[in-house]
Formats: sequence, C-alpha cells, structure tokens
Amino acid sequence: METIAVYWESRIKTYGFQRITDLALIEFSSPLSEIKSLGKILSQDDLIVLRPKFIISQVSNHEISFIFCLPLKESKDFHTSLEKTSTPTLHKYIHPVSIIFFHGPHFGDRYGIANATFSSLSKAGLKIIASGCSSASVFLVLAQHDIEKAEEILSETFEVAK
Amino acid sequence: MEKLKIGGLKQSLKLCQFDLRGVDSSEEIASKVSKLLLSQKINMEFLTYYPNRNSYHQLTFCISQDKFSTTSEILKKEGLLPIGWKIRSREQVGIITIFPHQSAIKILGVIMVSWAAQSVPIYGIATSLSALSFVTDYQLINKAIEGIQEIFQLPEDHAPLKPEIRYYQSDTVKGD
Repeated sequence: METIAVYWESRIKTYGFQRITDLALIEFSSPLSEIKSLGKILSQDDLIVLRPKFIISQVSNHEISFIFCLPLKESKDFHTSLEKTSTPTLHKYIHPVSIIFFHGPHFGDRYGIANATFSSLSKAGLKIIASGCSSASVFLVLAQHDIEKAEEILSETFEVAK
Repeated sequence: MEKLKIGGLKQSLKLCQFDLRGVDSSEEIASKVSKLLLSQKINMEFLTYYPNRNSYHQLTFCISQDKFSTTSEILKKEGLLPIGWKIRSREQVGIITIFPHQSAIKILGVIMVSWAAQSVPIYGIATSLSALSFVTDYQLINKAIEGIQEIFQLPEDHAPLKPEIRYYQSDTVKGD
C-alpha cells in the first residue's frame, strides 16, 4: 500500500531544540578486516556503564571510523581503555563539545531539513564538528561556545511547535 | 545463554548510498549538497557528516533507491565538488534500526561481531535519542535481521519490521 501525504509548511516545524553540554568527542578507526576485534572490544562488560550521547560511523578505503560523544568523565575512561588496545587507532579527542538535537512532525518524510540546518549554520559562520541524522532526528555536534548561537539561528530557521 | 533485550527493531525500504570524500575545503559540502538535493525534492533518510579529520572530510547520505540515477548524474557534474573529492555510491542499501533499552555500546559491539561472522557489511552507523541505525547491503538485510533476532530478545507485541506505508511529500496541494 502506498499513501501520499500532502502538506506544506512555510517554515519547517520542530518540537523544539534540546542540548547536551560538557561532552568530549573521541574519534577512532580500525581496518575493516579487524571489525570483529573492534566489536569484541566494544561489547566488553566494563564498557556497559558508558552512555554515549552521539555515535556515527563512516566507512572508507577499507577502514571504519567512529565518532563518539560522551560525558567528560566517561570519555576519559573510554579513551584510556582504548589506549590499552592495539585496535583501534585513536585520532582525535576534542572537549568541551555540545550537542543540539531536534526532530519534527514530518521529519523522515520530507526534503529540505538538512539544507535548512546546514545552510543557516553555515551562513552564520558556525562550524559543525560532526552531524548524524537518522530515525527522523537531527544531531549536531558543535564547540561548546557555539551552542547558544546555534540554537538561536536554528530557532529563527525552524518553527517551534507550541 | 540469555538473550539481550531490546525495545524494538525495524528495517527501511530500499535505499541507495553516496559517500563524498575529500580534503579540507573552504566550501561547505554539507550545505552545498543538501541544497542540491532540495532542488530535486529528494529527502535524505540517513546522513553522517564529519568535516574534522586532518586529512579528509566525509559526507555520507542515503536516499530513496529510485533517486539513484538522478542523484549520481547531478553529483558528477563538473565543478560541483571541490577538486580531488571522490564519490563512492552503493545502489542498494537498507537501514536496520534497533531501539536498545540501554547498553548501546555493547549492542553495537555485539552486532559488529555477529555481522562480521556472517559477512554482513556495515556501511554506516548513526544514533538518535533512542535508536541505533545501521546501513547495510539491501540484498543481505534479511540475513542481517535474522542475525539480530538470534542474539536479541524482542518484545512479544513487537510491531512489523517492514514498513507498511510509504509516505511521499506531494508537489501539489489540493484544495477542499
């Protein structure tokens, strides 16, 4: 069965913006041939206490890379545990970073949301450190000092449902 | 062994994937590409963007499979991407979304081990507030789901895994 949803919004609606502050970003990678070993490391019981606020993974040239955002204390422990292993290779540790995330009534079904997000932040001169959009939500990682400005810009771009 | 409990599982319709990768550029690739897709009224169903590596930046996105040819053509137009940027595309991918109760890292690790053992590839991962989404080969999506169902316990009243309705944003709005 196929259903055509017909709607039009002059401004894209969201349910509001939420922030998570005081995080650290950890970037690490592993050869694709070692993905099973990396999976075993991540599934260890001593990592079960970690509550990542953001994860993305990208694949390129026989390598898989991960970007995790964790609360500062957890990120230090995670970083230390990864340093003890031969796989993966650690690349970046950035702190403090913050996340701003949002979703809306038609997210997932409509076009234009990514453009409204990236274009408005780019015009305002804000640099996105990382982004992940899935399950009808948009997650943006920015430097902590940029998060206030980012919410201000996004609030002007999108309509916040009342 | 007791199965790990998860809150739910769903799969996407057939999608395609583009990875755009290149060296640092003054151009805002995410902004430029999303504007281009907007002009074609194409919805991005999955996106990861990381412009922060020393040697390269990467934008990965998934869109409906029927937009593969159109999008390939417009991305390959000369001058669209900065010099040296490369496009890698996958014509048929699917997304499996898992709703973990907790222990997202453990669930991620367990799936990586399970899929690696079954030669099910991972082409991308992104999290949202309550979900963990994996992009994989559409031809192997049933095998990937079977692998997950062997390891994890789903709720008894679980909703269907496959989408039953497909929504389109219409180009026209009809009056009453």
